[in-house]
Order: sequence, then structure tokens, then C-alpha cells
Amino acid sequence: MNIKIEKINDNVIVKLEGELNMNYSNMLRETFKKILKDGNIKVLIDFEKVGFIDSSGIATLLEMFQNLEKVGGRMRLCHVNKRNIGVFEITKVHKLFGIFENREDALKGL
Amino acid sequence: MVNVLQQAQNNPMASTIILNETIPSKMALVPDFISSAVEKLRLLPVKENDIFNIKFCLHEAVVNAVKHGNKLNSALGVHVLIKIDKSQLTLEVSDQGEGFDYRVLPDPTTPENIMQHQGRGIYLIRKIMNDVKFFSKGRTIKMIKLFESKGGESEHKN
Repeated sequence: MNIKIEKINDNVIVKLEGELNMNYSNMLRETFKKILKDGNIKVLIDFEKVGFIDSSGIATLLEMFQNLEKVGGRMRLCHVNKRNIGVFEITKVHKLFGIFENREDALKGL
Repeated sequence: MVNVLQQAQNNPMASTIILNETIPSKMALVPDFISSAVEKLRLLPVKENDIFNIKFCLHEAVVNAVKHGNKLNSALGVHVLIKIDKSQLTLEVSDQGEGFDYRVLPDPTTPENIMQHQGRGIYLIRKIMNDVKFFSKGRTIKMIKLFESKGGESEHKN
């Protein structure tokens, strides 16, 4: 999995590419830690190029969501494909994360 | 291979083994193993939505077997059997661990559990597959996916 970080104003955009599975959860967790350490509290995860997420990937997103909540921050997701949305919906975590169709909508009011 | 599913559907007694392998309990081996299993499924006339669901559940079951069943002991194996009977696909994943009580798994979607970092794998499998049973004190999980009849893509059950 590749992780690209982009900053627009005070929003951090984390663009993921590949499969978000247990072998890459730690890599993403370390990226999230650095984002928090740098004082960022508004994070958008771009799922456009994520074909597959497993339960450990969901756990990693939840962990970041919780850490951001602790510091008054927010996390949103965009470009999540239909099948991955299905996985979020079954576990009901989609109610915690804001899931948006595109970047522009997700960044509004982040 | 391409007509295996059609042959199985035409002959109710047919049972075709698609994959019958044992892998060592190493997390790093799991993605390639799952990919090779999915490649075999792609040779069959199985819809993309079913392939995604089967891949997801196979992945979760194998990860559980490696991590929680065999506790990452690479000397222990995880056995995977994939077969087609009639109009359904059966996945069986077995580990060599101590087993677990699959009857008492908490619901990860309740308010008290939704923030937990574990416990979603089997819940997802039960929601996605049409039938899920455990054997050998939880060391074997058997999952059945019914192929959709002619028409649109099937969706998850809830």
C-alpha cells in the first residue's frame, strides 16, 4: 500500500493506494501518529484507490478517529467504493466517520 | 476450469475442489495466498460482487486462523478448502490451535462495543455469507456462499 500526504490549508489529506489489510495497518498507524504529532486535527482519508479494506483496517481508522476526538479533531472519508462502503455499513462504523462522495464535499466544514 | 460452475450446476451430484492447500501461519504469506485463491475463482463464471465477498471472508478467516488460532506459530498450518457444489461455494478454513467458544462472540455494532479495535471479522463473515458453521471446537469454520440466480448483483444480507 502507498500512502501520500497532502496539505490543503489546515486539512491533511491522506491518500491511500492498494489494499488496507493487516500487513499495512501498522504503516498507516505510524502515519497517523506523525500527523497527530505535527499538530494536525482535521484529516481526510481519500479511499479512491483502495480496492479492499479488512477488519484490521477498520480498527486502524477507528483508532485514529478516537485519537482525533480526544484533541477536538475530526476525520472524514471520501471516494469510498460501493463494496467497501458495504463493509463499513455492516459494522456500522460509517455512522462514526463522515463518508463523502468527493474531496470537495468532505472538506466543507471539516 | 472455466465451465466448472456450469458443470456443477448441471449435475447436482457434482462437487469440484477449487483449492485444497495448507499454508504456514505467517501473516506475510496471507495476501499472496488470498490473491492466488481469487485468481482461481476468476476462472469461474462467478460475479465480481460474489468474488469480493468470498475474498473478504476468506481473508478474515485465514487471518483469524493465523493470528488467533495458531497464534502466529509458523510451525502450525492453516488448511483451506474451497469447493463448488451445485450452485454454492464452500470455504473451509482450519487451524491447529486450541479452538475458541464461537457461541459467545459479542456484537461489535452495539454502542458499548463499536469502539473496540477487535471482534469484527466473524461478525462480518456471518453477515456476508449465507451460512456459517464452526467445527472442532472452533478450529474449523465452514462458510457457504450461494451464487445468485440470473439477474443483478447480490448485496450483503443486512
